[in-house]
Amino acid sequence: MKKVLALLCLLPAPLAAQRLQFTFGGTGAQEIVNSRVDPAFERLTGLVLGGEGLVMSDRLVGRLRYAQGHVTGAAGSSITPRDIVEGEALVGFRAMPWLTLWAGPSARAYTSANGDQRWFFWSGRATARGSLLPGRMQTFVELWSSLSGNVRTPATTASGRGAEAGLEMRLGQQAFWGRLAYSIESGHATSKRETVEAISLSLIYGLPQ
Amino acid sequence: MIRLLTVLLLGALVVPAVAQGQTASDLLAQGIRAYAVREYDGGAWLLKRALAFQGADALPPAEAARALMYLTATELSRNQRDSALAAARRLIVIDPKFRPDDQVFPPQAIALYQEARRNAPTVSIRALGDTAIRPGVDAFAVRLAATTSPDVTAAVTAADGRVVRTLYTGPVRDSIDVRWNGLDISGNPPPSGRYAITVMPTSRGSRGTWTLRLPLELVRPTVDTTPLPPAPPDSLLRPEHGDYPGAWRALLPGVLAGAAIVVLPKVVASGERPSNARLIVGGTVTVAGIAAFLAHRPGRTLPGNTQYNRSLRENWRRNVADITRRNAERVRQARIVIRPAAPVLTAPGAP
Repeated sequence: MKKVLALLCLLPAPLAAQRLQFTFGGTGAQEIVNSRVDPAFERLTGLVLGGEGLVMSDRLVGRLRYAQGHVTGAAGSSITPRDIVEGEALVGFRAMPWLTLWAGPSARAYTSANGDQRWFFWSGRATARGSLLPGRMQTFVELWSSLSGNVRTPATTASGRGAEAGLEMRLGQQAFWGRLAYSIESGHATSKRETVEAISLSLIYGLPQ
Repeated sequence: MIRLLTVLLLGALVVPAVAQGQTASDLLAQGIRAYAVREYDGGAWLLKRALAFQGADALPPAEAARALMYLTATELSRNQRDSALAAARRLIVIDPKFRPDDQVFPPQAIALYQEARRNAPTVSIRALGDTAIRPGVDAFAVRLAATTSPDVTAAVTAADGRVVRTLYTGPVRDSIDVRWNGLDISGNPPPSGRYAITVMPTSRGSRGTWTLRLPLELVRPTVDTTPLPPAPPDSLLRPEHGDYPGAWRALLPGVLAGAAIVVLPKVVASGERPSNARLIVGGTVTVAGIAAFLAHRPGRTLPGNTQYNRSLRENWRRNVADITRRNAERVRQARIVIRPAAPVLTAPGAP
């Protein structure tokens, strides 16, 4: 932990020496939550809105994402609706122009009439990008796996993994980009399993990494 | 006798030192004085030095003729008959109408001169001196003179004998002025170097019997010209055909990402039943890859780019042609300096 703190203290110096770039954007996503608490199974869907910010230097990248929304069961079902809040804070390193490696925490919390539930993971990630039309259109694939995690309440260790892939396209001659993405995440704990699928549309200002 | 030898020795030592820094006219005057006091060896040396000056420092034609006549008489007095004849022939080339003064020169010298005159070709050439002309605009003039009326051809020749430009072909009655405008046969100014105006007889009986050459040194001053622009580099040119490698590089990420989206749920959440929504996203990404592939128009000609490149090259060619023309005009307007040297007559048949 001390080493991590020391590293974080040293980060501003190299960042200051390099030209920083910022991007930020908003996202709307249709999420599908498949929730299993043995032996029960619930399927909920709903809209989640959020935002993200990215700061880039030559090699180092930082990413923050936050979103919240509401998911419900199918009409007429007795499934209890949930509020969702999710977020992540990642630090990345551009190992290659097309490959970025990430590490950092991510969390998802559900609030419902039945109580709260929170999934928390320290994860490692890799993002690969490929250019279709340079400066105008690109694709990306991101894979992650948890390094450690837990779910509460009650407190239990958890593991998870996920993926996201999609298409980013520059809108006209402006600095605005649109992103269409599909993501899927799956968290496991004793007698619990949560799988969240999402199709998202994002509007981002500034070049994506 | 010893005293005379001492004087001669001192004279031989002192004369070269005195000659340093003196003009051709000074040396001519000293040579004439030496001849008058019968100091023939020193006199011959002084006269030859006076005649050796070139260019602007050279003796004027009349003075040169006078110096050659004194040299003829001096060499004859030194019993150097061949040298005396050579000097007389040079004199005839410079001024075929020269008449030696019988009050000044002994009858033997006058007789030798007349003998050289009888045997020598009867044509001479005379230039005014260093001349600066604008090629094609001004002219460098020489005067050909002859006591008979030989048919001759006069041409500017290069050091290797190549004819640069023929100036005159025809008879020389008394004298004619021949002009050179400073251009070669193709109408361009020749480069700096050594040339000559070569005069040769053309009539059947006298062809090859003599050649009269007026050496010329042609100097072209450096002209400040504009350098030609380099050809447009490849980096400025646009591809005229769609490229296959670029098209494949565009297709591959699209297809891979599209396939990944379809396959990911099985990798990440095996056992779950993923929604079909992913197929929409995966299909969109794949179609985008195919569209990007087609956008590279692999193998097809790109008329817009071809037109752009053609226009770029034409602009460059126009610039080059324009600058070349302006440079040529500057070169043409620049004056060239023509420096004539002493004419040389070669007459294989002459004694």
